[in-house]
Amino acid sequence: MKALFRINLILSLLFALPFVVHAQDSRLQLSSLDHLAAKANQTVDVSVDERLMKMASKLFNDKDVDEREVKKLVEGLKGIYVKSFEFETEGQYSAADLQTIRTQLNAPGWTRLVNVTSKKDGNLEVYLLFNGDAVGGLAVLHSDLKEITVVNIVGPVDLDKLAKLEGQFGVPELGIEKTKKNDEQ
Amino acid sequence: MKDDYLWDKSGQPDPEIQKLEEILGTLRYQPKPLELPVSRRRSYFPLLAIAASLLLALFAAGVWLRVRNQSAPQPRQAEVISTPSPVEEKKPEQIIPKVVQQEVVAVNHKPRHRPVPAALSKSEREEALEAKQQLMMALRLTTEKLSLVHRKNTTPANLIKNQHRVG
Repeated sequence: MKALFRINLILSLLFALPFVVHAQDSRLQLSSLDHLAAKANQTVDVSVDERLMKMASKLFNDKDVDEREVKKLVEGLKGIYVKSFEFETEGQYSAADLQTIRTQLNAPGWTRLVNVTSKKDGNLEVYLLFNGDAVGGLAVLHSDLKEITVVNIVGPVDLDKLAKLEGQFGVPELGIEKTKKNDEQ
Repeated sequence: MKDDYLWDKSGQPDPEIQKLEEILGTLRYQPKPLELPVSRRRSYFPLLAIAASLLLALFAAGVWLRVRNQSAPQPRQAEVISTPSPVEEKKPEQIIPKVVQQEVVAVNHKPRHRPVPAALSKSEREEALEAKQQLMMALRLTTEKLSLVHRKNTTPANLIKNQHRVG
């Protein structure tokens, strides 16, 4: 009977393993915001998983420096998910909508790097998920009176590579590299 | 009459004793090999328990995968749905659309967990092109937001605040 108990225990642990792994995933559940699409003036919904990302990365031209940089950034990622809603009028989303996202970002591993609040641009929060010393995911939560945007990048985000993207393919200049160079001088 | 027969079987036996010996002799011990029960019922309980555990684990894993796939947002198309405002509806000739106002119908691509082939077929290439567009849109939006953070965060007041945070 003891052997049977041990076997059952091992099987139970094996059974629980996927749930534990899933719990450490940096993927956020954004479906709670879907109801806002009906009220929104403009909706952006991007959902690219690992397989699609690999397929897309095959279309990047290695000879082109810019595309090569994007390909490098994307290579290690497991998914990019964006939900953005822009409204005609104020007060179309509730604090509870934001709270569902923030609750997930309060989970162990997530660290809020930046929290910027301004009257003009609303509230902007940047979170990183750390697996030990490595970055396992990125989340950006932006909310102002007429907009709510959540960006979730799953996988090892290389912020340096992301900074290199500025100014390419319509990606705006971040000034990160310049700041670094200025600091070095 | 000697009674030695009862002790060592010597002498004349008593007929009654002989008769008793004959009757009881049938019950005498006869040496023969021990016979164990041949058909002992085997217990299948541990095997059944293991099989049941495996089936339960497989079933649970199946349910989990199904729930996971359902909870994941199915549409992989970038949706840019622009609803024209009432003012725009009144004067459509004055509109210079910044975004192409078309309703992109989301296509449900069921996640197919298979390796990406080296050479893409026509349909896969189309799928990859859509994915690339989505990817670029996501990166653009991400960097826009990060740019906003950067702009807000590099004002002199915030720099001082950050320095205090760092210590």
